[in-house]
Order: sequence, then structure tokens, then C-alpha cells
Amino acid sequence: MMNILRKDPGLPTDSFYEVRAGFSDGPKTNFRIKAGKTLSEKRWRASFTDEGCLDIGKCLSRIYHGGIHPSIRGEVWEILLGCYDHKSTFEEREQIRQRRREQYAELKESCSRMFPTVGSGKFITARVITANGDLIQDPNVDLGTNPEKPPTLQSEETVAREHDKEIIQWKLALHQIGLDVVRTDRTLMFYEKQENLAKLWDILAVYAWFDKDVGYGQGMSDLCSPMIMLLEDEADAFWCFERLMRRLRGNFRCTGNSVGVETQLDSLANVTQVVDPKLHRHLEHLGGGGYLFAFRMLMVLFRRELSFGDSLYLWEMMWALEYNPELFSLYEGGDETNSKSDTLRLKRKAIRQYGKYERANRRNRARVKPGSEPEPGSVSPLPISVFLVASVLKDRSDKLLTEARGLDDVVKILNDISGNMDAKKTCTGAMKIHKKYLKRQKRHSFQIPWLVSNAS
Amino acid sequence: MGDLNAKADYVFKVVLIGDSAVGKSQLLARFAKNEFNVDSKATIGVEFQTKSLLIDGKMVKAQIWDTAGQERYRAVTSAYYRGAVGAMLVYDMTKRQSFDHMTRWLEELRGHADKNIVIMLIGNKCDLETLRAVPVEDAKEFAEREKLYFMETSARESTNVETAFLTALTEIYGIVSKKTLSADGDSEKSASLKGTAILVDQDANSGAKGGGCCG
Repeated sequence: MMNILRKDPGLPTDSFYEVRAGFSDGPKTNFRIKAGKTLSEKRWRASFTDEGCLDIGKCLSRIYHGGIHPSIRGEVWEILLGCYDHKSTFEEREQIRQRRREQYAELKESCSRMFPTVGSGKFITARVITANGDLIQDPNVDLGTNPEKPPTLQSEETVAREHDKEIIQWKLALHQIGLDVVRTDRTLMFYEKQENLAKLWDILAVYAWFDKDVGYGQGMSDLCSPMIMLLEDEADAFWCFERLMRRLRGNFRCTGNSVGVETQLDSLANVTQVVDPKLHRHLEHLGGGGYLFAFRMLMVLFRRELSFGDSLYLWEMMWALEYNPELFSLYEGGDETNSKSDTLRLKRKAIRQYGKYERANRRNRARVKPGSEPEPGSVSPLPISVFLVASVLKDRSDKLLTEARGLDDVVKILNDISGNMDAKKTCTGAMKIHKKYLKRQKRHSFQIPWLVSNAS
Repeated sequence: MGDLNAKADYVFKVVLIGDSAVGKSQLLARFAKNEFNVDSKATIGVEFQTKSLLIDGKMVKAQIWDTAGQERYRAVTSAYYRGAVGAMLVYDMTKRQSFDHMTRWLEELRGHADKNIVIMLIGNKCDLETLRAVPVEDAKEFAEREKLYFMETSARESTNVETAFLTALTEIYGIVSKKTLSADGDSEKSASLKGTAILVDQDANSGAKGGGCCG
């Protein structure tokens, strides 16, 4: 009997994310709903006071140990990502929700005034504007097809021109979003419906206008797609995606000759150098010191290595580990005096409201710089995703050291992860590496000044 | 360059570049694995496949790097041009814009890669003849002017895909094997084309549909 209980195989989640007939969703899903481990709807509801204040501590460890039941994923993600303060009441959250829905409606309205396809239930995949701002009248009719109207003549005579740089920039992204929407999670039944594809396009188009520094970058459709499936209301899905992007937007920001993710790739190099110097030297020797081979893992958070179901599971474990109760007020720009007194109160009794990863970081900061309190609401120096990739590399360290004799071998070995990566084990591995990293960092902090400044 | 099987006489690095959704990954999947995915996803960053084949009795390993099409990632993807001895410059023959952008991709390539890199211009999706937006003549003219090889392909119907890659690889082989006659006896070589003239007369019977090779 004990044996049976211990080896509870759990329930598969396939029925929640149905795959189209005749298609496989690539790698198999390992995640199972396990009684007593997975955060269930019942357990979740029981964690709120009558007013709606959430005791998040227990939920966090549940999520880390057994994931979230698909039926409540959307609302739990909203809390994990800091859409709402877990200490707020039902009523307060409802007010914020309504306000945000209105805000989204306004944003969408302004987008649809600029480009009426937004919100129409349709979307586009062909360019609608040139980089100079010349509008391409009917994107379905390619200018080059008609020999009587060469494109140069058209742009000089009849074509209208957009002058506003921000609008040009935004319109230049619209077809790219469309091209990616039709290639995102298309094995799932959910995206057989045109309206869901249009929803994904709308949200990404509105986001590109909302966050002009980032706009749209390939990979964002992979990050946004689950939100639409988990949160029925389009505005709620938008804001949940927006919160996810607060963590990841830096990766997508580009300057002339660099992509934002390179900062995280540098961090990954630093971490590997500290926890597995031999591997780091080997990779450097092969010309992979820039760690560009980890680009995709960090950009779309392992969506291509894991099945749809397992990437959701990995994401919620990450966010539970990284949970910072100050996230909401940090994002909302809450006033300082308030959060300072909050920190004092938290110090006394509520450290367990932080995720395990975030807690370790805070403890470490207090140790490395004695006497200095962690800044209230400050964000961890490195995201857990960097340690997840480090864990993936470490697992393959032997193989990489003995078999990789070129960068192509590195990429090949890492390509083989697809279908062979275990979300849970990678998470546990990342936590171990993080611990080791902090320990070594402490040991070397006197010799290596940048490590100290990096940690503060 | 490394090789998991360590049997190749030559390793040639080839890059696939061009606008988003023109079919770069599909061409590669067709060539390397004879596959066509109806649910193909956008390439994030750089992906990669190899295929080994015999040319002139020698084992040649083609190491083909597939890149993201979106312009903003060029800073990262162009880092992979280094050491490439061949490039497949892909446009979608049903999308004029993707052809018009070839000039910029070529500039980018010539700015980052070896001066004598072998370049093949590819008009993909030639199974969609009714939607053609780029006349063969335009592409041929462009290829002649820029001294590129040219072919129209269909990854979906497997038209000319093998031929296009083989033509490029054979051309590279011709240059490199000539060069290595005077080189030392290292059995596995990463090809470098420095100082080698690449443009030789191309026989017209390489099976290009409506296109043919120029050069």
C-alpha cells in the first residue's frame, strides 16, 4: 500500500492542452497532476482569508514540488508574476482588474485607429509599410507582380506615406508578428481557431506599441501563447504577458550591434566559470566563450526543449522559486516609506513568503555585505534561468568535455536535449548550482572585486 | 573543426540567410533529413544540422547553420558567418520584398564572411507558381550582376533542394581541393578560401527549374 502511494503516477495533463489529430507535440510531457503534491484548486482556495489575502508561503513550496493544477494555472500565474499583490483583498484585485481591462481596451483602440486590422479578428503576414514609411496599399497584392506598375513608380506617385517614426516602427513589426503567430504552437487544437490566432496577434501588436523600446522580437510569440490559453479574458492575458516581459524584456532589447540577451549570456559564462571552470575553459577554447548556443534557451525559457505542458510546469517552478512579495509594489512604483516598513515586518515573520531562490539571494547579500540590508523590493542579481542553463550544461559536462571538438559539436549535443530534459531535475540542479555559486562567490569575494559589486 | 564521427575528409561550413519565413529551416530539414514540417516554428537565434556526402570520392561534411530571419537578431547571427565557405541566400519567390532584401543580406554577408565565399541565390517555394512575384529573369539578372549561383527550389516538393546544396558544395570542394594540393598533410580540413578565385564556368545542365546557374 505504501509503495503504491509513494509511486503515485499521477494524472496526465494532455486533456487540458489537446494536440491536433495526426500531430505530435514533439517531446513527451512528464508533468503529472499528483494528489498531495500539485497545488490543487481546493488547496489554493483554502489559502485565502475571507477578505482574499493569500498565505502564499505554502503555495510556493507546493508549486515548487508539484506544479499547479491546470484548472487554476491562470490565476496563480497572475500572482506569481506580480499582476496582483498577494496581500490584497478580493475587492482590491477586482478593482485593479477592471481598471486594467479598460486600459487595455484604450491601448487596443489606439492601435486599431492606426491599423484597423487590430481587433478585427483577422491578422496580416505581409508587409504593410516600407522602412521609409511608404504604405503598401494592399499587402495581398505584391507590387512586383504587375510589370506595368514597377514599385519605384508607385512609391513616388500614389502611395501614401507615414511620417511618424514610432508608427513606422510599429507597423514594420506587424507582418513579422503575423508570420510568427502562424508558426506558434500550431500542433495544439486551441490554435486551430482563427479567433485565437487573431488574439495572439492582437496582444503582441498592442504590446509592441505599449513597449516601444522592445517592440516585437521573435520568440515573444512563444512566451505569449500560453497566457492566451490560460487566461480567457484577452486583457488579463495581455497584462500577465506584460508582467512576464518585465522579467524578460531586457533580452529582447536590441542596439545596433548587440542583442539584450547577451547580458544574460555573459552571466551564464561567469556562473559556469565559477562552478565548472574546466567546462568553461573548454567552451572558450572551442570559440564558444560567448555562450551564444544558449541563446534560445534563455529567450523562450526552454519552450523548444520541452513539451508545451512541461514548459508551463518549469515556468511556474521558476517563478515560485523567484517569488518576491514586493514584486507588485515594485512594478506599480509603490512609495518607499511603505515598503521599508514592510521589509521590517517581513524580516520578523514572513521570510517564507519569498521563494526559495530569492531567499537564498537575500541571505547571501546580507552575508557578503554585512550591515547592509537588501534594498526593499530589489530584484535578484541573476535570474534563475541562467542557473537552469548552467544546470543543463553541467549535466552534459562530461559529454561536452570528451566529445565536443568544435562549436558545432556543442550545438549538436545541446540540440539532443529536446525530449531528454526533465523540468524538475533541471530545477533541482539549478538550485544546487546556485548554492555552490553563492558559496564560491563568497570565498572568492576578497580576490575578485567584481563578484562583490555584482552581488550588491 | 570537430566532428563526432571524425571520418570526414573535409568540413564545409555553410550559412542559410534571408528574410523571415522564406523557408530556410525547411530547406535545411529537406536536405539534411529529407523532412518537411507542416508545423515548422520560427528559428530563434541559430540552429544547425550536418550532412555528410561523397564528392569526388571524398567524405565531405556539410555543417549548415540556420539563422533567424528577423533583422534585429543579425548582430548575433552574423557572428556565425565567420569561417563559412558557402552561403545560401534564400528568398520566397511569392514575396517580392524578400527578393528585394537580397541586396542587404548580401552586403551583410560580404561584410562579415570570407571575401571568396561561394554564394547560392535561392528562390524557394517554386511549387507556388501561380503566386509567383519574382520573375526568373529578375533573379537571374541579379545573380549575374552579383556573381552568384542561382536556383529555384521547393522544400515542400523536394525540387532542386539537393541539387542546390550539392552545386554549392561541389564548387567549394573544387576550390578547396585545388588549394590543399599545396597544403600540409592534415587529413581533416576546415576549408578556407582565402586568395582563391571561385568563379568558374558552370555547366548549365544542373537541373535548375527555370533558373539554372549563372556565374
